[in-house]
Amino acid sequence: MSRIEVKKPSLCTNEPFSTESVSRSLSVLSEIVKSCYGRSGRLKQLHNGMGGYVCTTSQSCVLLGGLSVTHPVLKLLTASVQNHKSRFSDCGLFTAILCCSLVENFRRLNLVSCTVIKISKHLLSLCTDYLKSEACGCRISVDFNSTKTLLCLVRSILTSKPACMLNKKEADYISTLILKAFLLTIPHNVETNVALGKCIIVPVKDKRVADSNLFPGLLIEIPEFEFPKFPVKRVSSSTIKMALFCISMSGDFLGAREGTVMVKHGVSLDSAILDQLLNLSKQMVNDGVGLVVCQKVIHPALKQYLKEQRVITVDRVGIAMMEPLSQMTGSQPIASLHSLSSSCYGSLKDLRTETFASKEFLHLIPHDTLVCSLILCNRNETAWGELKLACETAEHVLLLTVKQPLALLGGGCTETHLASYIRHKSFDMCSSTFKDLCCSPAEYQIVSDAFCCSVESVACCLEHDGGEILIDRHYGHFWSVESGFPSDSDWSNLVLKCGCGICNNQQNLNWCVLQRQCGRFAPKSCYNETCVNSKDDLVLDCFTAKYNGLQVAVETANLILEVSCIIEDQN
Amino acid sequence: VVMAFKKVNSRRHIGLQQLSSLASIGRTLLGPTKSCKFIIDESTHESVLTCSVVRLLENLDASSAVGQLLHETIQAQHKEYKTGMTTLLFLLGAWSNAVLDCLQQNIPLSVIVSVMSEGLDSCIAKVQCLQISIHNLYQRPDSVRIEGNDKTSIDSEHSLSELVGNEMPESHLITSSYSKKMRLTHSRHFNTLGKSHCLPNQPNLFQGHFTGPATDSYECSNLGQLAMSLSHGNRSSMKLVQDIIRCQQQSADKVSDSHTGYIQFNISEVVTCCLSGLSDSYSCACQGYVTLISPEKAAVTKQLQDKPLQIILVDGDLTERYRHLGFNRSSNVRMVSEGVSIPENSSISWINCMLDILIQSKVNLILVRGNVCENVMEKCILNKMLIINPVTPNVLQAFGEVTGAEPVTYLTQMNEHCVGNGAFVNLWRTGELTTVEVGNEVPISIKAPGIPLVTAVLSSTIAAKMQAVEDQFWTCAYRLHHALSDQAVFLGGGAVELLCLSHLQKLEKQSLKSLGEFHNASPWLAGSLARYEPTVLKALASGWAQYLSTVMCNTANCASAFEASTSIQHHLNRAAVCYSSLAYILKEFSKGDQDIAGTDHVSKPGEVLKTYDNVTAKVEAWRRALDLVLLVLQTDAEIITDPKRKQLLNSQESSEFMFL
Repeated sequence: MSRIEVKKPSLCTNEPFSTESVSRSLSVLSEIVKSCYGRSGRLKQLHNGMGGYVCTTSQSCVLLGGLSVTHPVLKLLTASVQNHKSRFSDCGLFTAILCCSLVENFRRLNLVSCTVIKISKHLLSLCTDYLKSEACGCRISVDFNSTKTLLCLVRSILTSKPACMLNKKEADYISTLILKAFLLTIPHNVETNVALGKCIIVPVKDKRVADSNLFPGLLIEIPEFEFPKFPVKRVSSSTIKMALFCISMSGDFLGAREGTVMVKHGVSLDSAILDQLLNLSKQMVNDGVGLVVCQKVIHPALKQYLKEQRVITVDRVGIAMMEPLSQMTGSQPIASLHSLSSSCYGSLKDLRTETFASKEFLHLIPHDTLVCSLILCNRNETAWGELKLACETAEHVLLLTVKQPLALLGGGCTETHLASYIRHKSFDMCSSTFKDLCCSPAEYQIVSDAFCCSVESVACCLEHDGGEILIDRHYGHFWSVESGFPSDSDWSNLVLKCGCGICNNQQNLNWCVLQRQCGRFAPKSCYNETCVNSKDDLVLDCFTAKYNGLQVAVETANLILEVSCIIEDQN
Repeated sequence: VVMAFKKVNSRRHIGLQQLSSLASIGRTLLGPTKSCKFIIDESTHESVLTCSVVRLLENLDASSAVGQLLHETIQAQHKEYKTGMTTLLFLLGAWSNAVLDCLQQNIPLSVIVSVMSEGLDSCIAKVQCLQISIHNLYQRPDSVRIEGNDKTSIDSEHSLSELVGNEMPESHLITSSYSKKMRLTHSRHFNTLGKSHCLPNQPNLFQGHFTGPATDSYECSNLGQLAMSLSHGNRSSMKLVQDIIRCQQQSADKVSDSHTGYIQFNISEVVTCCLSGLSDSYSCACQGYVTLISPEKAAVTKQLQDKPLQIILVDGDLTERYRHLGFNRSSNVRMVSEGVSIPENSSISWINCMLDILIQSKVNLILVRGNVCENVMEKCILNKMLIINPVTPNVLQAFGEVTGAEPVTYLTQMNEHCVGNGAFVNLWRTGELTTVEVGNEVPISIKAPGIPLVTAVLSSTIAAKMQAVEDQFWTCAYRLHHALSDQAVFLGGGAVELLCLSHLQKLEKQSLKSLGEFHNASPWLAGSLARYEPTVLKALASGWAQYLSTVMCNTANCASAFEASTSIQHHLNRAAVCYSSLAYILKEFSKGDQDIAGTDHVSKPGEVLKTYDNVTAKVEAWRRALDLVLLVLQTDAEIITDPKRKQLLNSQESSEFMFL
C-alpha cells in the first residue's frame, strides 16, 4: 500500500524586508563581517558547540563557510561573496561589508527601489571608469623590476589576518618565501603557451614560523621507518625513471561495482590480483624504473618485492600531489593494472632524502624546477590553517597582479579617496544624465550620498579601538586619531601617517573628520614613482580582486533590493 | 540548520576569565616540589593520582571552546617537547589575569596585543645570553662559556669568572645565536678542546665501561653533571636516563668497534616497561627489549633460553580478517563450490596454513605490532614458538636492523629475506639472579647482539604512582635529549625569569622605539602608546613575577607570597643598581646555592650543582602561552555551526545567542 501525502502549498512572503527578522539577521551578519575586517580585526571562534575542533578566524571564506544561514536574502548575499572569493581569493570581507552597508543605507532612503538601483548602477560605472582610467589617484602600477611593491602586496595580505599570529619579522619572512615560491613557478623561457608551475604547501604544525622553508622540486613526507636505505636506481647519472599510478595498488578487487561476482571454491581472488600486480612490477623492474609513486595504497607484498629489486616506493601521496608530480616529471598517471606502456614513465634529475623538523621527506628534484614545496610551520592548528589560507590568497593575488600589473592603496585610503571623487563628480552631473536615469537631481544626490557613505563605512570598519577617522582634503586619504578631541583641533599634531602609509603628517593636508563638514573636493593623486619606491612598508590591495569585489557588492545589493517576493517550497 | 552567534567580548572578557580559571588548577604543580592531586570520579568512585599537567587535563572535562584550545595548546607542547607544560599552563593563567587588568584600565586591545608580543620577543632575545653551550660543560667543569656570536671561536670564549670580574660590555653579550643546530659530532671544540683539557685520572661515573682511551670518558662525567642539573629534583629518574645513554654507547661501540667518545642519545630507541608493585630498587636500564608476558609464554621462554633464535617481525595483525590499510574488501564476491565437497572450516585451514609457514621457516620468535588470533597463539605455544604482541614500530625497527629480519604485513609474504637470526630470549632477572612476577605476568628480555634498543624498567611499590613515575622518566629523558639537540641549556633556578623582569623594568623607562615598528594596530595607537606601554609591560612582567614567587612558595623556600615577592624585588633592585643586570644575575646564580627558586640539591659536600633549563622548550612554552592568551583576547564572538536550536534556546544563556 502506498501512502499519499498531500503536498504542502508554497510559502509566499511579500516585501521580505518588512519582516523584522530579516533586518535583524542582516544586521547580525553585517556586525560579524565588520568586526573581522582589517589588521586589528576581531576574531571569531567557530565550533560545533559539542567539544569539536575550534577554529579561530577572521577570514571571510572560513566564516561564511561555517555560517549556516537560513534566510534566502542572506543566502543570496553569502553566495555572491563566496563566489567572488573562489574566483579572486581576496577582498571577501570588503565585498560583504560593502554589500551589507549598501542594503542597509539604501533601505533607509524611502525612495522607489528601481530608482535607487538605476542611480547606484550609474554610480558604480563612475567608480569603475575612474579606477580604470590613467587619472585614477588611488592606484599604482606595479614595477616588476623590483620586489618592493610585490612584497608590500603580499605582506598586506598576511598582516590583515591577525589569527595567523605573526609578528613583524615572521610576516616579512613568510612574505619573502611566498614571493620566492611564486617566482620559481614562472618558466625561464617564455614561449607561446606559458604554463605556470605550482607551489605545494607542505604542512608542518606545532613548529615555529621561522622554521618554514622553501625547496625547489617536490617534498613528500615518508612515514617513519619507511625511509629507503639503498641508493636509487638510475638510468644515467642524472636521470631516474619513475612510474606514477593514480589507481589503488592495494590489491583489492576493483572489477564489479554492481552485481555479484561468483568465484569458484579454491580460487583466491586476492592472490590473483596480487599476481597481476607482481607481473606489472616485474615489467617496471625490467624497464629500469627506480621510483614508483602511487596516489593510493601499494600492497605490502608488492612493496616488499620492489624493495628487494632496489626500487623505491612511495604510496598514499594523495590527489593534490598528482598534477604537480605529473607536470614535473612528465609521467602519465597510470590508471590500469593490465597494460603498461613505456611512454607513461617520467624522469627525475635526482632523488634525495631530507630530514626536516623531525619528519622525513623524499626530495624529488626535476630537470626544470617549475614546482616548489613550501614547508609551512606555525605553532598551533588553528593559526596554521589561517596562515595556509593567507598564503594561498597571496599566491593567487600575485598571479592576478601579473595579469594586471596594478595595485590599489590599502588601509582605507582607496575607499575614502573613491568616495570623495564620487561626491565631487556627482555634484555637477549634467541634466541629461538625470533624464536618462528618470530621476530628479535631488534623488540622485540622496542616493549618491548613501552610496558614498557605504563606501566610506568600509574604511571605518578598519578601526576597532574607538579611534576617530579623519580624511584629508587634498588626497582624500584615510587617517585615524584617538577619539575625544574637538573637531577644530590642529590635527597635524595628532596624525602620524595615512592608512596606506604613503603620506605623513609633514605635509599640511587640511584634515577633517570623515563624514562631517568636509565639503566637496576633487582628490588629487599623490602617486609618483620616487614616493612609492622610497617606502617599503606600504599597505596595498590587489586591484583585480577589489575592482571585482566592488562590482559584486553593488550588483548584489541591487539584486537584494529588487526582491519583492520570496516563494519557498515547503515540501 | 541554524547558526548561533554569541558575543563574548566586554570589559570582563569571558574567554580570558575561563582561561584563567582553568589554568589555576595547575598552580601547585609548578616547580621541583610538586603536590600531587587526586581526581575522583563521583559516579564510579574511581580516582587517579596525578602530578602532571597533561594527565590532569586528560582527566578534566573542558569542552568549552576556550577549554578546547587550552587542551590543544598543552598537547602540542607535550607532543613536541614533553616538558614545559606546567610553565605554559601557569603563564596562561597569569597572563590572562594581567590582560584582564589591562582591559579594566581601558587600554585599547590592539595596544595590549602589540606591546605584549613585542615585549616577549624582546625578552626572548635578551635571555639568549643566559645560554650555556654544552661544549663548555664538557670542557671545564668550573667554567661556563657565554654564548657569543655564531662563530664559536675559541678566542671569544669567556669563562664565567672572567665575565663577572671584567665587566664585559653588555652589548657584546646580546648578540647571541638563537637556533644553532650543529650536531655534537661535528663540533671542533669537542674534538680538540675536550682532549686537551682532559685529566686522565678524573673519577667518573662510567669508568670501566669504555674500551676507548680514558680521555673520552672524561666528557661523560660532565654529562652526568649536566643530567643532574636538568633533573630538577628527579634524581633517580635522571640516573636511569644516564644508564640508558651508557647502554646505548656500549652497543654502539660494539658495532663500530671503535669508541668515538661522542654522546649520542637516541631517544627513539628507548622503551619503558612498568613493573607495578615492585620496590623502586628494581628500576634499571636494560639492553634490548623487556616486556611482560603470560606464564604460559614464560614456560616457552624457559625452553628457548640461551639459544640463538630465528626471528620474524609482523607489521600488522596476525588474524584471519586483517587486511592492510587501504584495502577495501569487496562485498559482492560470493564463493561457489562445484560438486560435492565437504564444507571445510576456513578459519581452521587459515590457522594451519599460518602454522605451516612458521614451522617451515624455523622461527621461534615472532614480534607482532597488532593483535594476534587466540588460536594461533595457543598453537604456537604448543610448537615452542613465542609470539610477543603488541610491540611498537621502533622495537620492530631495532630488531630488524640487528637481526636482518624484514618486517612483513602477512605471513604469506615470508621468504628467506624476512627471517632474522641471533635473537635471544631470557627471563628477566634482577641482580640477585631471581626471577620476578608482576601480578600474573612475567618479565622477559629479548636481545640481539649490538641492538641499540634500551628498555627502562620502571617500578613502584604503589601502583597508583606508576603512571607518574613513567611520566617523570620521560620528562627527564626528553630534557636531556633537548639539551643535547639544542647544544645549549639555560642557567636555571629562576635566572632566566629574573633577567626578563629586570629587562622589562628597563623597557618601561624607554620609549617604544626600542621595540620596533607597530605591526598590527591603527597608526594612531602608535602615537598614544607612551601612555599605555609601561602598564602593559608591567602586566607582562607580572606573569614571570608570579611564576617565580609561586615556585618559591611551592618549594617552601619562602613562607608566603609576600616574602617571595620581597625577595624577588630585592634581587631586582640590586640588579638595577649594578653596572649590568646580566652580570649581577650571572654572579648570583653561579654561586649555586643562591637559586632563588630554591631547588633542592642534596649534593655531596663541596659539590656545587647548578640548575639548568631547556632553551627551546622553555621559550616555546612562553610563546605558546602568550599566543593563546592573545588569540582569546582578540576573539569577540563564538559562532556555533551546528547547534541544537532548542537546546540553546532553553539554556540559561539563551539571551546571549543571536540566530541567523
